[in-house]
Amino acid sequence: MSRRPADPPLGLGTYEVVEVSPGPSTSWEAGNLVVDLESLRGSAAKEPAVEAVEVHLVRPGDPVRIANVLDAVVPHVKAEDPEATFPGVLGRLAPAGRGRSNRLGGVTVLSVCDLPAAGLVEQDDVNEAFVDMAGPGADRSSFGSTTNVVLAFTPRPGAPAADVDLAIRRTTLRVARDLAATTIGAAPDREETFRPVGTGDDGEGLPAIAAILQVGSEGPFLDTFLYGLRMEGLVPTSLDPREVLDGALTNGAYEWAGSRNPTAFYQRNALIRELSEADGQRLRFAGLIVALGYLNTAFEKQRSAMLSARLAQLLGADGVVCTTFETGNSHTDTMLTVRACERMGIRTTAIVTETNGGLTDHVPEADCIISVGNEDELVPAWSPDRVIGASAARVGKPVPTWAYLGATCQTGDMRWRAVPA
Amino acid sequence: MKVVHYLNQFFAGLGGEEAAGHEPVRLEGAVGPGRGLGAAGLPVDVTLACGDDHFGEHEAEALARLLAWLEEEEPDVLVCGPSFGSGRYGYACGSLAREAGRRGVPVVSAMTPDSPGVLAAEGAAYIVPTGSNVTEMRTVLPVVAGLAGRLASGEPVGPAEEEGYLPRGLRRNELADATGAVRALDLLLAKLAGDTRTEVAPSGDRVPPAPAVADVSRATVALVSEAGCVPQGNPDRLPSRHSNMWLRYPLGGVASLDADAYESVHSGFDTAAANEDPNRLVPLDAVRQLEAEGHIGKLHDVFYTTTGVDTPVAAAAKFGQEIAAEVHEAEVQAVILTGT
Repeated sequence: MSRRPADPPLGLGTYEVVEVSPGPSTSWEAGNLVVDLESLRGSAAKEPAVEAVEVHLVRPGDPVRIANVLDAVVPHVKAEDPEATFPGVLGRLAPAGRGRSNRLGGVTVLSVCDLPAAGLVEQDDVNEAFVDMAGPGADRSSFGSTTNVVLAFTPRPGAPAADVDLAIRRTTLRVARDLAATTIGAAPDREETFRPVGTGDDGEGLPAIAAILQVGSEGPFLDTFLYGLRMEGLVPTSLDPREVLDGALTNGAYEWAGSRNPTAFYQRNALIRELSEADGQRLRFAGLIVALGYLNTAFEKQRSAMLSARLAQLLGADGVVCTTFETGNSHTDTMLTVRACERMGIRTTAIVTETNGGLTDHVPEADCIISVGNEDELVPAWSPDRVIGASAARVGKPVPTWAYLGATCQTGDMRWRAVPA
Repeated sequence: MKVVHYLNQFFAGLGGEEAAGHEPVRLEGAVGPGRGLGAAGLPVDVTLACGDDHFGEHEAEALARLLAWLEEEEPDVLVCGPSFGSGRYGYACGSLAREAGRRGVPVVSAMTPDSPGVLAAEGAAYIVPTGSNVTEMRTVLPVVAGLAGRLASGEPVGPAEEEGYLPRGLRRNELADATGAVRALDLLLAKLAGDTRTEVAPSGDRVPPAPAVADVSRATVALVSEAGCVPQGNPDRLPSRHSNMWLRYPLGGVASLDADAYESVHSGFDTAAANEDPNRLVPLDAVRQLEAEGHIGKLHDVFYTTTGVDTPVAAAAKFGQEIAAEVHEAEVQAVILTGT
């Protein structure tokens, strides 16, 4: 009988960027990233639904507020097969999570678009989304401390929303890929290796831990994408966690900024990393489940919670970490999932954001909760010298925490938490 | 730095129980425990005092006079008490603290955690927990003075647990040493080993279901909904999310909620289908039929409405308590709650 070939590991090489500067051609050398702004603008020209894109380079400490931020992407490329980068959405369809990927450290690509101004959504349906590069809110978003290549999009008037949505996402991912592609052939500053789950040194006798990554998919500008397709209708499913780190999961959901999951938080997901690092040491990484939040009916919510718990059981999990996507409605999905798992004897921790009034939902089984902060807390007023992406953006006024991109993201990627005061 | 200190008649030296009806007074400098604050580094500029009974019996007038003095003084900090285990004194301290706090004056008080003053303060003051005995004065005053001094000079005050004041019901953000992911795994592994801990302890406010209605055919039934159902045009501006209010609308003489008269302003679901027939938000047509057929006694003459989307549990609990109190008063025996 022939043996199945071993699943190759994912090698993530990080190339640190110390300085980003504009120049005649895009290149990376020894920490210096030179960006050809004209060619980045040109990469949007391939998209008929985009009329124009402005490119800005902003650095930590700049007196700049970036407004109407949609997504944040870590520059990332499949080194041996660049055409398969962000498979299904940008690149050719190919399994992610194996082989060699290169990424830039300290740099993020941010997409920016004033969707209501373009007439694509109602003003009431979107909320402010900021990244501050200095001032009291700079540490609220993870992207206040990276150098950012900001792509400010102007949609073509009359272009359908779905076309604009795809064009913005694809252009942002293309720029992220092309920036990282400058490192192909060079030696990384850091290299991490991710093997298939459960193949750590010695998992015998250790508790088996799975993670449930909750995502949302409710329509244009509210979707999460798996290999290029929106996830609405998803039955809870198991993914190789390395696929998530390697660009299979991308964000297109732009509702509340603070509790949104930017693509960067999938690419560098702290929970997957911690579970991988601890695999075989203090636990056995039983696997990753992706499931939807924001389901419409009580029946759908209970069904998804039940199927998530059942899948965790099939993976042999003794315990699961339940993450949450956005707030309000989805907290019920998290709580029902906690309940379903606990009733099957699977112990849980839930990661949730709080409000000034406490939790939106709670079940007694949720006796072990991680707080990622109070999304209603006001951050003191700040007046940046320059605002990118909007004409008015609460300049000189206090800003609620929920307006900062990823500030109270419930994937476990941030260090914020709320304490009694 | 300007410091104002509030005391009751006893600690202000106006007299004992016989002086409990004393009107509010304004005194220059430190009095009684105020000298202890001074010794601990917080010199008191002005002392305000009031008899405990007077405050309780003429609360509005007493507060108005005390607040008028505060407005004149523009203090950097107000200290109330300590009131220890005294209920009336604690209530006065907490009430003044609440009003001053709402006007932007930092306030520090000290009392037993079960003092009515803690509730009265509504989270607007830093309250240092004490025992019930006045002999603790010596140890409490330096803690109060330290906290008040830092507030007065605009220095940051840390979380309740670190600083030793009673939690004010606020949740303040701070950077933890580790990411949420690391903390989640630590807590989950500890829980699997039998040590269950949490960073968020929700209120234990779980409501047991009321006993079944003995005879529905004689009961008054009310309709309550979070579906955001309002008269067309939303005349009272019910928020479409994050609601801070509930409303009541009359049902006298109304047989059915017609689409041209009512609508939903709820932002948490697609209201198109509901707006074609608002009875599907608040089931008036069906309940009117039950009423006509004698299955229920009668329908309460108003319905209650709010929007339940992004509503914190604390706000929702408050709405529920207020609506429940009103229907209870109206001798309603059963409520039909419709959710979305």
